[in-house]
Amino acid sequence: MKAFLSRRGGVAGLAVLLAMAVLALAAPLFIHPSDLSVVDATGAALAPPTPHYPLGTDQPGRSVLLLVIWGARPSLAIGVIATACTVAIGAVIGLLAGHFGGAASRVLMAVTDWFIALPQLPLAISLAAVLGQGDASITIAIAVTSWSTTARIVRAQTLAVEARPFVERAHALGAGHRQVMLRQVLPNVAPIILVSSTLTVAGAILSETTLQFLGLGNPTDVSWGAMLNQAVNQGAVTRGAWWYLLPPGVAILIVVLGFTLTGRAVEDVLNPRLGTR
Amino acid sequence: MGESLLSVKDLDVEYGDVPAVRGVSLTLEPGQVLGIAGESGSGKTTVGLSLLRLLPRSASVGGEILFRGENVSEMSWGRLRAARWAGASVVFQGAMSALNPVRTIGDQIVEPIVLHERVPRAAARARAAELLESVGVPASRRSSYPHELSGGQRQRVMIAMALACKPDLVIADEPTTALDVIVQAQILALLADLVRSSRIGMIMISHDLSVLGAVCDRLAVMYEGQIVEERPAAELLAAPRHPYTKKLCAAFPRIGDQSSRLAPDRARPDAPPVLEARGVRVTFPARYGHGAARAVDDVSLEVAPGEILALIGESGCGKSTLCRSLVGLVKPGAGEIRYDGAPLKFTPRALKRHRRRVQLVLQDPAGSLNPRQTVFDAVAEGPRLHGLRDGLTQRVRDALSRAGLRPPERFLGRYPHELSGGQQQRVLIAGALALDPAVLVADEPVSSLDASVRGEILRLILDLRAQLSLAAVIVSHDLGLAWNIADRVAVMYLGRVVETGPVEDVLLRPRHPYTRSLVSVLEAPGERVPLSGEPPDPASIPAGCRFHPRCPRLAALAASDPAAAGAAGCAVRDVPVLLPLAAHLTACHLAEVS
Repeated sequence: MKAFLSRRGGVAGLAVLLAMAVLALAAPLFIHPSDLSVVDATGAALAPPTPHYPLGTDQPGRSVLLLVIWGARPSLAIGVIATACTVAIGAVIGLLAGHFGGAASRVLMAVTDWFIALPQLPLAISLAAVLGQGDASITIAIAVTSWSTTARIVRAQTLAVEARPFVERAHALGAGHRQVMLRQVLPNVAPIILVSSTLTVAGAILSETTLQFLGLGNPTDVSWGAMLNQAVNQGAVTRGAWWYLLPPGVAILIVVLGFTLTGRAVEDVLNPRLGTR
Repeated sequence: MGESLLSVKDLDVEYGDVPAVRGVSLTLEPGQVLGIAGESGSGKTTVGLSLLRLLPRSASVGGEILFRGENVSEMSWGRLRAARWAGASVVFQGAMSALNPVRTIGDQIVEPIVLHERVPRAAARARAAELLESVGVPASRRSSYPHELSGGQRQRVMIAMALACKPDLVIADEPTTALDVIVQAQILALLADLVRSSRIGMIMISHDLSVLGAVCDRLAVMYEGQIVEERPAAELLAAPRHPYTKKLCAAFPRIGDQSSRLAPDRARPDAPPVLEARGVRVTFPARYGHGAARAVDDVSLEVAPGEILALIGESGCGKSTLCRSLVGLVKPGAGEIRYDGAPLKFTPRALKRHRRRVQLVLQDPAGSLNPRQTVFDAVAEGPRLHGLRDGLTQRVRDALSRAGLRPPERFLGRYPHELSGGQQQRVLIAGALALDPAVLVADEPVSSLDASVRGEILRLILDLRAQLSLAAVIVSHDLGLAWNIADRVAVMYLGRVVETGPVEDVLLRPRHPYTRSLVSVLEAPGERVPLSGEPPDPASIPAGCRFHPRCPRLAALAASDPAAAGAAGCAVRDVPVLLPLAAHLTACHLAEVS
């Protein structure tokens, strides 16, 4: 904990993330659904920033500031849920493959390699076609295409931990497979999973934005990717409406940077061998 | 000249504020070997490194080091470089990591010669070949890479490298640690020989007094950065004066010395054996360029309640595999493990029951504890696995205090890295005791511990035997350990037991030539029975008696009476497989000869 606090980048990243999370969770308290409704919008179309609309308005006349704040909700939610799925699948497969070895490991790793080769965009587009556009298909597309990396990392770490004598001691005390995996290996693999998951969240949010931008999300939802999509479609570029394009982009940048900085700092703390530069 | 090769006066070394060496003074004459003994943290390695200014920058050095009359701390960088290797060289421990894995050993020996003496490469190569021959490595191996050599050969190469520039002083830091006893004896003989023949001075640093005693003229014992005793080696070992030296000496027992025999000599208990191995064979399948290894090949053992059996052998002899099969971690390919006369079935349920009664304690206490578990969790692990949840806390406390961690409350919440090596080993023993086992199987329980802790752990095992009538199988490469605590001993060579019987019979009157060599390693240098050759490979077991290619008795007989040697049939007839009887038995065709 102390070691983490001494890493300024990590502290800054965590502070940004906490601020974002609080803002996203508290959004319904100060944003009324009518603020986000295309029909009830009161502002002028694509108006530049004014004191009443600090970040200007979009084509239907909604406040871009409120849209950006509201847009954090789906981005963070999908990012975190997709990462949770990724880590759960990856950790289970990696642990099983690392623990049992032999034929089971070969089969599991072959499946993992197959998923590594699976292209994300075409999969997401096909899923959207099957399940319909929306958050569910985006989450599934991200989880399905990114768990394989976690599985590889967890398997490698499991192999390293299993080679240590305390695992043999556990066997000698009468532990079965489940007990060895859960009580001996998992606690020693958990830090690696934690680090990899903070970095995965950043990737997942980027993927989510990309997929939303390509129009695979629900068109009526407000999210950063969807905002960028609408900004482009509604001619913000030709009209020079930078206040419509820039804020969602900067928001994505900040959140991704926040996760990456936090992840790096946690990695440094948990693995002193990386050295302090 | 009239001056010493090396003289150190009032050497002080501090790392930050932590003093590592305090007021050490030493002198060394050419042709002399000075031993520095001490445990980890005593500052012995720091002394060795400071002689050539090899310490890290964070160390501040005070005092005076004169090498050939020149003050080392005032040498210019160029002079110092010349002095390193050409004047004084170092043999490091861990030859695998001190050699560059991607270059041939020949090149690595040539390098300092070319660098320091500016001779043509061809001449340097010829010199490297000579050096290799002089340390007993065939010159034809000079184009080998380090991983192609055995541990002993690598250490020989390190010595050849150290001698490459004809130094006046060689500093050997734990030159034989991590080597097998027999190989260790070979390397020590080589070093002693080199010192005598070329009149170089040597400083030998080790934690092992028996190693130092075999080679050194004088011995200095270090404790907490200071030299507590310095005298001629034989004198110091025979009658240590300082209490710390006494403790250290006691940890390296001489066989036959009754004061170091902690176990009372007693008749074999009449009770039927509690744990037995019958005709156990374990074969590991062939892998990448290695044939199938017959690690354990038809071994029978037994241990009665309250009895301590020592299983002795070099690395690769199958002793660790055998002890894992006793616990049921390795399934024998043939033969059976019996507990209370009933054969062990390798089903999950039977194994679990077996592992409650037969407990394993491993070699490396630091690695055997999960770094993320507290002492309480580590000791409670066994009872939890076996569903003994009632009174768990009390059970853990009892186990800890029986293992000598008192009061247990002080240790419950600690993590392994907060404990010393000896405490960690006690936690592991407590973890085993928490299940009230009948047998303790310990694989090298004290080999990674400091000498003074070694005695404590051995006494603990004896106490447990006395209080709980616990039987123990103790696996070790160290015959001294068997002399310390065992009732019976079984000596293994290449997957077979070659000699077995009561400790006093086997160790004082060894009949098998292999046992005799092992025993002689612990004796004075003059009485050693040299054993040549490399440790054997269980993937290629020789026909006939497994030991015959290295057997000194066969070699002696073949020299004096070739016909008798041929008639003995050592190379063709297999020796009988020994049964675990109370008597002193040996598996040798020539046992009656000498």
